[in-house]
Amino acid sequence: MSLKTNTSIQEEEKRTPSFSFPLFSFKSISKSRHLWLFLLPGFIIYTVFFALPTLSALFLSTTDWNGLSSQFSFVGFQNFKEILTNDSIFTQSLTNNLKFTIGVLIFQTLLSLGFALLLYKNSAWNTFYRSLFFVPTIISSVSIAFTWNFMYDPNIGGVNLFLSKIGLEHWTQSWIGNGHIAIYSLAFVQFWAHTGQMLIIFVAGIQAIPSELYEAASIDGATRWQKFKRITWPLLAPATTMVVAYTTIQSFKAFDLIIAMTNGGPSNSTEILSTLLYHEAFINFRFGYASAISVVFMIVIALLTFLQFRVLRLTKM
Amino acid sequence: MKKLLILLAMLTVIIAGCGKNSSTSGDSSDSSKKVTINFTHWRGEDSKAFDSIIEQFEKKNPNIHVEMTVFPSDSYQSQIQGSLLSGEGIDVFASFPGSQFETIRKANGFAKLDDQNLLSKFDEKLIQAGKADNTQYALPYQLVYNIPVYNKGIFEKLNLDVPKDWNSFLKTSETLKKNGYTPILFSGDVSPSQFINPMIMNNEPTNNALHEVETGKRKLTDEWFIKTLSQIKELNDKGYFQKDALGTKKESAAALFAQEKGAMLAQGSYMMATVKQQNPKIDQGLLAPITVDQDKAKYEGVHTTTFLLGVAEKSKHKEAAKKFLTFLADPKISSEYANATGQLLTVKDVKYDSPELKESAKWKDKKTVFQPRFTILNERVSKAVETSVQDVLSGMSAKKAAEKAQGEVERVAKN
Amino acid sequence: MKQNPFRQLILGIYGLIILLPLSLVLLTTFKTTPELYSNPIGLPAGWNIENYKQLLVNEPIFGYIKNSVIVTVFSTFFILWFSSMIAYAIIQLPQKLGWIVYGFFVCGMIVPTQVNMIPVFLLMNKLGLVNTLTGVIIVSISFLLPIGVFIITGFMKTLPRELFEAARMDGASEWKIYSKIALRLSIPSMATVGIFSFVIVWNDLLFPLLLLKSKEVKTLPIALLDFQGEFLTNYPMLFSAVVLSSIPLLIAYVFLQKQFISGMTSGALK
Repeated sequence: MSLKTNTSIQEEEKRTPSFSFPLFSFKSISKSRHLWLFLLPGFIIYTVFFALPTLSALFLSTTDWNGLSSQFSFVGFQNFKEILTNDSIFTQSLTNNLKFTIGVLIFQTLLSLGFALLLYKNSAWNTFYRSLFFVPTIISSVSIAFTWNFMYDPNIGGVNLFLSKIGLEHWTQSWIGNGHIAIYSLAFVQFWAHTGQMLIIFVAGIQAIPSELYEAASIDGATRWQKFKRITWPLLAPATTMVVAYTTIQSFKAFDLIIAMTNGGPSNSTEILSTLLYHEAFINFRFGYASAISVVFMIVIALLTFLQFRVLRLTKM
Repeated sequence: MKKLLILLAMLTVIIAGCGKNSSTSGDSSDSSKKVTINFTHWRGEDSKAFDSIIEQFEKKNPNIHVEMTVFPSDSYQSQIQGSLLSGEGIDVFASFPGSQFETIRKANGFAKLDDQNLLSKFDEKLIQAGKADNTQYALPYQLVYNIPVYNKGIFEKLNLDVPKDWNSFLKTSETLKKNGYTPILFSGDVSPSQFINPMIMNNEPTNNALHEVETGKRKLTDEWFIKTLSQIKELNDKGYFQKDALGTKKESAAALFAQEKGAMLAQGSYMMATVKQQNPKIDQGLLAPITVDQDKAKYEGVHTTTFLLGVAEKSKHKEAAKKFLTFLADPKISSEYANATGQLLTVKDVKYDSPELKESAKWKDKKTVFQPRFTILNERVSKAVETSVQDVLSGMSAKKAAEKAQGEVERVAKN
Repeated sequence: MKQNPFRQLILGIYGLIILLPLSLVLLTTFKTTPELYSNPIGLPAGWNIENYKQLLVNEPIFGYIKNSVIVTVFSTFFILWFSSMIAYAIIQLPQKLGWIVYGFFVCGMIVPTQVNMIPVFLLMNKLGLVNTLTGVIIVSISFLLPIGVFIITGFMKTLPRELFEAARMDGASEWKIYSKIALRLSIPSMATVGIFSFVIVWNDLLFPLLLLKSKEVKTLPIALLDFQGEFLTNYPMLFSAVVLSSIPLLIAYVFLQKQFISGMTSGALK
C-alpha cells in the first residue's frame, strides 16, 4: 500500500506545474477550497431563504408591530417583560407544552426503540409491520387531526363506542372536552402518528451495528440484556440522540394537530407555545409580541435539547 | 454522468418556474390586456356556487379572469397577511367584522368604496359593519342570525310554543328532556361564542356594553354579565345540554340535530341549509332564549352581517375588482348564490326559494340587535368572554369565571 | 431470535391501534355524510365509490398531482444532495469550525414556521417567485436542510476517517471521495432523510397555500381544502382525497425502503 502511495505522490510531483508551494499545502488548500464548494449551495439557499427572514422576524420582537400597518414603534424589551410577568396564558401555554412534550417524548422514544429491537431484521413480516407503523406519518397532520376528532367525538366517536362495546363504559371520557386530560389525549395522537417515523431511525441505527460484535458476545456467553446494555445501547447513541432531539422539537412545534383538533381550548388547556404565537400574531394582531414569544420558545427548546444531550451522555458512561 | 443529470435537473426547475411565472402574471405586455384578479375567502362550502358565478362574470367580461382562492377560516388571516402587505395576489377579498375589519382598515388595507351604483344595491341598514367615519370600506355580504335553530316538528309534537321569557324557556327545556330529546345541542368549538349573544342581548344595559367593557367603562364582574354566565351554567347543570358539550364539535352537534335527537341547536341560521342536506324532512325555525321577563325583553334575536367583501387598496386591478364586486351584488346573481348556499344576504331584492331561507328572512322584520360579541374590537377581550363560557361549562362558578375574564380584560388594557 | 408469542401479541395490538382508526378513514370514504353520522363505525351500506369518482373526474386533481410530484421530487433531490455535501464538509472541517457550521444549520430546526412565513413571502414576492413551483421548491429545500444536515451528519460522523484518508492518498478528488465513498456508506441515513423529506414536502400545506395562487400551479394538499368549509366539513370526500393523495407516498415509501434494505445488505459497510 505504502509503496503505491509513494509512487503516486512522485507522479503527482511530476505532473504538478511549477508552483513553488510545497506539495503538502497545495493539497490542503485545494481540499479546503473544495470543502467550501460543498457548503456553498446549501448555505446560500438556507441563509437567503430561511436564516435571514427568520432573523428579521425576530428583530420585530422589539416592536409593537401589529403585522399589517406600515407604522410601528420600538418598545425594547417590553414584550419580553410582559411575557414573563403579565401573561397568564403564556404561563399556561408553557406548562401545557411541557406536559405535552414530556408525554410524547417518553412514549414515542420507548415505543420506537422497543419496536425497533423487535423489528430490525429484514424479514417480510418485519417489513410489513414497519410499513404499517409508518403509515400515519404519510398522512398529513391535518388529516390525522380530522381522523382523531372523529375518534374522540363523545357521541359517535370510535374510542367511546369501542370502549362501550367491550364493556368498559366507565372508562369513556370527554377526551378533548375535559380541560384536565385534553392535552394528554392530544399527546397520544402525536406519538401515535410519529412513533413509526422514529422507528426507522432506530432500525437504521441497529442495522449499522456489525453483527460480528453480537456473535463475539454470544461466544463469550453474554445474555440478551448484557448485549443490549454493552453493545446496542452505546452504539445507538447517535440514533438515540437524534430521536430524542427530533421528537422534542417536533412535539414542541406540533401545530396543525392542535389547531385542527382543539384550537387551544377548552379554556386554553391545550394552548401550546406554537399555537399561542400563531394566535397572537394573526388573531390578536400582535406580530411584535408573537415574535417575542418565538424567541422565548426557541430558547426553551434549545435549553431542553441541551439538557437532553447532557443526560444522554451520562447514560452512556 | 451524474453531473449532467444534476445540471439537467436544475435547468428543468428553472424553466418550469419561469414558465409558470410569465403565464400567470403577464399583464402589461399582453396585447389583449387580459387581467387576472384574485377572489379570496374562507368558505370552502361555497366553492361550487362561486365557480358558476365566476364563469358567468368571465363571459360578460372576457378581459377579466377571476382566480378564486379559499383559505380555511382558522388560517385565513395568516395567509392573506403577506398579500395585504405586498399588494401581490389580493384583489377582492372577504374579512370578518370586528377586530379583523378594524385592523385592516386602520392599516389602509381597503380601497374606499364610493360608487353609488354599487352601494345602492345593498340594504343600507345592513352594511354598517363595513363602514367607518362615514366611508364604506367593505360590504358585508351575508346576513346571519346567531340564535338557536329549533326543530318545529318536535315542538309541535309536544305541543310547545316558542318560549317568551326565561321561566318558560326552562319549562320548555324540561319538557323536552322528559320526552327523551336533548333540549339544546351545544358544540364546544363554536357555541360558546354564538350562544352568549342571545343570552346577553336582554341582560346587557346597553347594546354596546361589551365594547364598554374593553374601554373600561364597565366590568365583566358587573351583575348583568355574571347573571348571563349563571344562566348558561343553569342550563348545563339542569342537563339541558347534551353530555360532554365541550367536547362536541359543530358538525357532530348539527348531525345530531339533523337526526332529530335534539330540539335546539346552539349555532345559527347559517347551519339550516347543512342540516336540511342531511335530513330533507326536517322542519326548522329560529328562536332565541329570552333571559328576562317578557315585558323587559328589548330584543327578539341577534343578527350579524359578515363575509365583508372589500377591494385591497394595494391591488393593481382595482377597477376590475370593483366590477366583480358589483357583479356579485346584482340581485339575480345574489339570489343564485343565496339559494345555492342557503345563506341570507344583505343585498336588496334577493329572492329566497328554500323554506329555510324564507323562514330566516322573516327575521328581518323582528327586533334584532347586532351581535354583541362583535362590538368588541380587541380579540383578546373577545377570547376572554368566550373562555368564561367554557369555564362555567367545565364547572367553574359564574362569579369566578367572570372575575377571571375581567382579570384578562384588565391585563389587556395595560398592554 | 426466538419466535416469541409475546412479541407477536405486542406487535399485533399496536398494529390494531394503528390500523383501526385508519380503516375507519377508509370505510368513511364509501359513505355519504348523513350515513357517516348515523353509522359512524360500521360498514358502509354499499361500496359507494361516488366520492372517488367525483375526485378523479374532476380534472384539476391530476394537475395538482403533477405539481405535487414536481415539487416533492425536486425538493427531495436537492435536500439530499445539499445536506449530504454539507455533512461531508462538516466532518472534515477543524473541530470548532465544524461545530459552528453544524450549529448554524441545525438551529433552523427549532424555528416555528409561523415566524418566518411573512418575511419569506415578502422576499419571494420581491424575487418574482410567488405563484411558481420553483419558489415552493426553494422554500422547501431551505426549511428541510436543518433536519437533513442533522441526520446525515450524525451518521457520517460514525464513518471511519481512514477510508477517506486512504482514498486521498490514492489521489482521489474530494468529489470522488464524497460520491463514491461517503454517499455509498450513508445510504441508510440518506434514505431516512429522503423518506422524511418526501412525506413532509408532499403534505406541506403552509407554503404552497401561501405562495401558489393559480390553479395551474397548486399542489394536492390544497385540493383537500375544497372540502373543508367554515361550518361543514365533507368528511367522506375529504378522506377520499386523503386516501388518493397517500397512495403515491406509500409507493414511494415501499420503494425507498427497498433501497434502504439493499444498501445495508450489499456489504456497503465493507
